[in-house]
Amino acid sequence: MTDLMPQAAAAPPEAELARPASLPWWANPRVGLVAVIAGLVVLFSSLRPSFLNVDLTLVPMQADIAVFAVVGLAQLAVLSLGHMNLAVPRMAALSAFAAGFVYDRMGVPLLVGLLVALLVGALIGAVSGLIITSTGVNSFVVTLALDFGLLGLVSLLYAWFANGVAFSVRPAGMDSLRFDTMSDYCAGNVCGPPIPLVVPFALVAIVAVGLFFRRSRVGREILMTGSSIRAARLSGIPVARRIVQAHGLSGLLCGLAGWLLAMNNGAFSATLGEQFLLPSFLAPVLGGTLLAGGAVSVLGTVLGATLTTVIQKGLNLLQFELDQLNILIGSVLLVALSLDRVRHVLAEKRGTRA
Amino acid sequence: MRLRASGLVKVFPGVRALDGVNFELRPGTVHALLGENGAGKSTLIKVLTGVHRSDGGTVEVAADEGDWTEVGFAHPHASREAGIGVVHQERNLVPAFSVAENIALQQLPSKRGVVDRAAVRRIAADCLAQLDLELDLDQPVSRLSVAQMQLVEIAKALATDSRVLFLDEPTSSLTPDEADRLYTVVARLRDRGCCVVLVSHKLEEVFAIADTVTVLRDGRSVCEGASLSGLTRGEVVDLMVGRSFADLEPDTSRVPDRSGVPALELDRVATDGGHTDVSLTVHPGEIVGLYGLVGAGRSELARALLGLDKIVSGDVRVRGKAVSISSVGEALHRHRIGYVTENRKEEGVFLEQTISRNVAVTVWRRLARLGMLRDRAEDSLLDTYVEKLGIRVSGPRQLAGQLSGGNQQKVSLAKWLAADCSILVIDEPTVGIDVRTKAAFHNLIAELAADGLAILLITSDLPEMVTLADRILVMHDHRITGEVDNAAHSYEVASKQVVRLMHAESAA
Amino acid sequence: MSAPTISRTTPRVRVTTELVLAVLAGLAIVVLTITTNGNLLQPGTIRAVLQFLAVPMVIGLSQMVVLAVGQMNLSVGVLTGLTAVVAASLMVDQGLSPWLAVPAALLVGGLAGLANGLLVVLTRINGFIVTLATMTIISGLRYGVNGTGTYQNYSPGLVDFGQSSLLGIPVVFLLAVLVALVVAWFFRRSVVGRNMLASGGNPIAAMLSGISNDRSVVLAHTLSGLLAGVAGVMVLMMSGSVNASIGDDLLLPSFAAPIIGGVALVGGVVSVLGTSLAALIVRLVDVAQAQYNINPRWVDLVVGGVVLGAVLLSQSRDRKDDA
Repeated sequence: MTDLMPQAAAAPPEAELARPASLPWWANPRVGLVAVIAGLVVLFSSLRPSFLNVDLTLVPMQADIAVFAVVGLAQLAVLSLGHMNLAVPRMAALSAFAAGFVYDRMGVPLLVGLLVALLVGALIGAVSGLIITSTGVNSFVVTLALDFGLLGLVSLLYAWFANGVAFSVRPAGMDSLRFDTMSDYCAGNVCGPPIPLVVPFALVAIVAVGLFFRRSRVGREILMTGSSIRAARLSGIPVARRIVQAHGLSGLLCGLAGWLLAMNNGAFSATLGEQFLLPSFLAPVLGGTLLAGGAVSVLGTVLGATLTTVIQKGLNLLQFELDQLNILIGSVLLVALSLDRVRHVLAEKRGTRA
Repeated sequence: MRLRASGLVKVFPGVRALDGVNFELRPGTVHALLGENGAGKSTLIKVLTGVHRSDGGTVEVAADEGDWTEVGFAHPHASREAGIGVVHQERNLVPAFSVAENIALQQLPSKRGVVDRAAVRRIAADCLAQLDLELDLDQPVSRLSVAQMQLVEIAKALATDSRVLFLDEPTSSLTPDEADRLYTVVARLRDRGCCVVLVSHKLEEVFAIADTVTVLRDGRSVCEGASLSGLTRGEVVDLMVGRSFADLEPDTSRVPDRSGVPALELDRVATDGGHTDVSLTVHPGEIVGLYGLVGAGRSELARALLGLDKIVSGDVRVRGKAVSISSVGEALHRHRIGYVTENRKEEGVFLEQTISRNVAVTVWRRLARLGMLRDRAEDSLLDTYVEKLGIRVSGPRQLAGQLSGGNQQKVSLAKWLAADCSILVIDEPTVGIDVRTKAAFHNLIAELAADGLAILLITSDLPEMVTLADRILVMHDHRITGEVDNAAHSYEVASKQVVRLMHAESAA
Repeated sequence: MSAPTISRTTPRVRVTTELVLAVLAGLAIVVLTITTNGNLLQPGTIRAVLQFLAVPMVIGLSQMVVLAVGQMNLSVGVLTGLTAVVAASLMVDQGLSPWLAVPAALLVGGLAGLANGLLVVLTRINGFIVTLATMTIISGLRYGVNGTGTYQNYSPGLVDFGQSSLLGIPVVFLLAVLVALVVAWFFRRSVVGRNMLASGGNPIAAMLSGISNDRSVVLAHTLSGLLAGVAGVMVLMMSGSVNASIGDDLLLPSFAAPIIGGVALVGGVVSVLGTSLAALIVRLVDVAQAQYNINPRWVDLVVGGVVLGAVLLSQSRDRKDDA
């Protein structure tokens, strides 16, 4: 006869998992990045000493890093949610157009134009977020379609308002931003370091975004939403509002990136931002930000942008062509993605966060 | 074909879903597999049908008269080829494909790489005929009703010539007539020498068509292959929920004070989800239980209360004042209502976030200075609750996903306590949690009530319900069908009354 | 026993996307004919319209094939360019006959697609990002063959063939139609094609039925690359001169055609007819743009807007909870 008696009340031992170990310090992506950057700098400067030439290389490189770090942050802002913003190029272009427009037609001061760019960017980002939350369509699709739509819009706007392709207006201060570094400003006998003037703008953004996600309530709630949207909703987080805010932030940073690039190039053109899409993913991914959402690394993104720029500058000096650069950058992204996957698998096995 | 599992073990992070299950199937039987939510039934089926790999124990098959050989199913179609068919609980149909193609999908007939349409239709028509069902073979399944989809799933399982067929809640969306037709098919299969394994929460159904029963509890088989004719309904329920609880001393020391304004009151509430005329009150210090089967609408009621679903008529009053709640945030911050969800892993905790964030997430608003937060404030909050709830953690930065089920549940609860909620809706608090932690949880909940919280307890665990609830409301088909006073917390008395109310309502 | 369940009756004529597109295309043709005083229906115009429809149609099918499994392939455009340039190079620099160069081009396309598919499956990263990276790589590789130079006179015979017509219909268009028919048959009748659609439509159901979703993804990408190769060969045949910039403007059309054609972005649905009709409509819009001297930017904007609208419309119909 089969046993009908209930089990004895002996409880099984609690299934404790092993104490989690953090990843060894050398597997931390940030440390790896610093090492690779340092290695590349040594490599390039030994092959081409002009790599270390301040005016020729180091200064323009900083200006580029500034732009691409902000571009990376623009994508990071939505990666926090586990979303993507595929309209980064056109959001930047549209915001830059707005700035160029007010410079050209209204002659506003430099910083007002910047504010306009930021505002337009934030607005279009927020619209993107609103479409996502109200239709329930995923961010990938919405921003992809948005990028298509904005593509035509931007060309049209430039065609109507800028006689074709670009604003060539030069608001006061633009030339300084473009050509000067802090070393051109001296107080008495002490001159500043050879840091281009666009860098502080990027620095402010970097610190602000870093603090936002690390410390602010809204930033953390965004990360929680990215971690588990259902748990976030049930914990009282206003999920729809946070999604709109994250996308708005992304748009704002696109605006800043577009404006900075326009400053660097000295012109506002319809094709501005075209090159932003791949780097916008590359920097955060290299820096260890997960595509799945819930965790971001601002420092990693900056380091990722630095690495990409160092590679580009170095190869440039070694006289690689643009197309060869493309091949390399694309390959770097693929390698980074594969390594990210490896890291993920490792982290899962050890039970820690990647 | 005979099938036998011995000492089967399956471990997921945080929980031993199967902890030494023994299970034997004989041909020509209808074998019921019973157990509460979280007991391991779905996991057992998934292991036996190749969806999961087991972590221990053996599975053996034998021809009707032959010897046992050990098998391991690495993939669903391996088990299918071994002659095991399954209809899972969740729908697994390809929406754009026709009825016929979905039915034949597992072994799509083809000639030299081209789909043999005539054969597909033949197979589908044959299976539908077995179910006495008429459906347009060419219609895409996306346009079928839920009931029709379930029938197509069953037809799909019939398409592969299975000697063992697992049916997981097969009649959950069917009308009584459709269910009857299914029972006929089951009987026919049994007569043909198959073994049909039925997983069902409907005891009437089980007693009507099954002849053998295996009961799982906490991942173990507490009753293996017993003949159903020798058991009463009550005995089966006891096995499912564990008589050890019925032996516990009922704690009648807590007497809720019902004289004041109720903390929460629902007055003839109807919702978008189908609830009608739902009225209940919960006083501070009282534990009111909502008992019912899966699908009765209890969790849905809680969600409507939190603003996740629309309340179309009736009043909700919090501390005497009529309110209209439109979001969880509003329920939490304005009315101090918390909801400990039944779906711990996907809704209760943030698996990839640290424990301190998990606990503090509901109070960030309060902790923030100028919108900014300090880790220190979070950590001290965590310390308070780690201590109070006895959560075993290795540090505040530990990820919630690494904790055991019981500790995760404590974290899930802690965030509402941290938010100083005065009304708590607790949904299935001890599913998938080991016995010792269960008891600790019960003490905890009783303590919370003693401290003055108003608690609405939703659980399918009858002994748990009787231990904790001061009044038990029975819910069926989105309506409250009766109330049982449980001041004495006596399992003998209350369980009979509850079961009687349940049977008076549920159709065969 | 009570009466068996009655099935839902199917309405007489279902308003499908294909029907709407066919009507739209018909309307467009009528309007254009009238406003051009019958010019549209002149044999020369018809030939021009159809000839330049071939590549967008095949490119649209190339994207459709990966959309079927819920993936995307950003490298279709530049891959077309690469295959064209490689074929031209093989003929000019290596002296191969077109009979060898053309299959070689198709092989390059298929292999590139295969690489895409394997990368997606191995890294488990969203196909968009993977093909974003490979698009960048292939974009650069195009210039690796002959820099910015142009290939001409690679095979007068081939170009003659490519520019010829049969009964007034351009040969390349006939080829495109043939490709479309093969693809349609593939997804309707072949086991492999049905398996791919099952993987796209419900990966769990497919997995439980013994279908390998990974294999479906790899196959889809390989096919996509192959079709991009076909488009490259068509460009080779039609234009008489190729250079490394070919394909830069093919990405948007590759999405526009299937999306407007009713193909779901989530996978599981294909419509060869819809994709082809959508390509036709976009082509007619181009004709109108040239005819009425509309600013081409407007065309871009409208097409972009329609794609956005089509996507939102089709996706919000089955709302997903994870925005």
